[in-house]
Amino acid sequence: MKKSNKNLLLVIFLGIVVCLPFLLDDYWLHVAILTLFYVIMASSWNLLAGYTGQVSFAHAAFAAIGAYISGILSVQMSISPLITLLFGSVIAAIFGLGLGLLCLKMGGIYLSLTTLGFSEIVHIIIKNEYEITRGTMGLEVPNLLGFYSKTAYFYIMLLVTFIIIFFLAKLIKSDHGLKFKSVLNDELAASSIGIDTVKVRVIAFTISSAIAGFAGGLYGHYLLLITPEMSSLSQMFMILAMTIIGGMGTLSGPIAGAVFLQVLSEYIRIFGKFHLLLFGVISLLVIKFAPGGIVGLYRKITQSKTDPLKIETQSKYDY
Amino acid sequence: MWKLKGENISKSFGGVTALKEVNFGIKEGEIVGLIGPNGAGKTTLFNVVAGVYRPDKGSIYLDDENVTNLNSHQLCRKGIARTFQIPRPFPELTCLENIMVSIIGREEKIHNSNEKLKEAKKFLKFVDLDNYGNILAKNLNLIQKKRLEVARALATNPKIMLLDEVFAGLNNTEIRDAVKLIERMKNEFEITQFWIEHVMGVIMEIAERIIVLDNGEKISEGKPIEVARDPKVIEAYLGDTDV
Repeated sequence: MKKSNKNLLLVIFLGIVVCLPFLLDDYWLHVAILTLFYVIMASSWNLLAGYTGQVSFAHAAFAAIGAYISGILSVQMSISPLITLLFGSVIAAIFGLGLGLLCLKMGGIYLSLTTLGFSEIVHIIIKNEYEITRGTMGLEVPNLLGFYSKTAYFYIMLLVTFIIIFFLAKLIKSDHGLKFKSVLNDELAASSIGIDTVKVRVIAFTISSAIAGFAGGLYGHYLLLITPEMSSLSQMFMILAMTIIGGMGTLSGPIAGAVFLQVLSEYIRIFGKFHLLLFGVISLLVIKFAPGGIVGLYRKITQSKTDPLKIETQSKYDY
Repeated sequence: MWKLKGENISKSFGGVTALKEVNFGIKEGEIVGLIGPNGAGKTTLFNVVAGVYRPDKGSIYLDDENVTNLNSHQLCRKGIARTFQIPRPFPELTCLENIMVSIIGREEKIHNSNEKLKEAKKFLKFVDLDNYGNILAKNLNLIQKKRLEVARALATNPKIMLLDEVFAGLNNTEIRDAVKLIERMKNEFEITQFWIEHVMGVIMEIAERIIVLDNGEKISEGKPIEVARDPKVIEAYLGDTDV
């Protein structure tokens, strides 16, 4: 597709998104806000898994850390949620840095197992430290703005999503992004030409934890009640499924995946907890038949007739 | 005065001794060949020098500085570059991006991306891949991948280059081209080269000195002609001669 066409489509799409509060009823606006949360979560997880090849299972746990830190600070010290949100994000980043330094040297499956363990520890602590977190009862937190408006919240979420996606896009196209990709492609070769692979992975891990913490805080101050469910593995698998079904290692993939699965899950809500099972089946089918996800499939269709050597690469370094 | 020196390097994996007390030295500007039959420990020695493995015993010196305990990327910044036996360019990056990674990896203070890009193109041209800048490295053929890998290693501004079987899998014409490339590398960039080869033919013509490994031990060293006549070397390659 030509670049001008692509830009036109993007403008139309953005126009529709901006008008959503006037097009949707209250319930679907709620779904749209949750979708934006998942877009941020899937996009930041994609930075890890899709661009540096680290499959972390602690992403939902980082969101929960952000939400609980922000919630607890705003409840117990009555600080404005606008400030505690940043604290939540910073604490999540610090945990991310610590966990990163601890286990990124191991890499591969060990990283996944360690993050899985970390995620369970966070879940258990939140559940049992009920004097601080109110356990499974859930923690009531104040609204971000001080007043309740779904439309206002939608625009805040939208703005944050834009900023984060823009930041991720810049990061991936920068020299750092190229380092990320080189580590994903071949770690041994990357270190042989002077790339400090452990440092690169720790940076990616910390950035993505900070984003998850921030998103978690926003999510908490919207729902007004945060529960340990936030750090559960089913949340994590939801994010994982969204990224894989959308298309790992692409910017638009997690967005497409999050929108697709969130809307789909509204229609299959009647199946209750079984909807995760359906997501699993879809993920398996995608991995088997369209490993590039929705975005990969789309690219395959639009580019099938061109010579593989002439496929438009996304490189910013044009020869 | 050695540019690169290894002293009593030993390395074993489990019960297998891959290197036993190996000593070697390479002078500035020299082309040194490392040969030996299959499983002699040639690639292990390279991996130890390049920081992939730590030696169990022994030390490595670069310009008289002890670099034994440095990691790959630190060694690279000190000036040791390498290629791999089976070429490992970044498959999902374009050729130009492959070389850009090296230039970024230097972590120099220049942030002018145009300057970096110009330099990357220079290296791509050096290995005659200037028409392939925008093509993903996975779409190249073997010889092109090898050339890309040489360019990527050169782009780190090395003082010494470790080449692991550059000629493996190439036909005679391709080998001739590769020899030219290696000679240009010496003349234009003045890089010291340490070079593994499995087949003895070509290396005998280019290398100034040859080190022979067998079963993890250095069995011979010297000018190519001396090494070729050394009965120990002949025995290692052909087996025991006096039956």
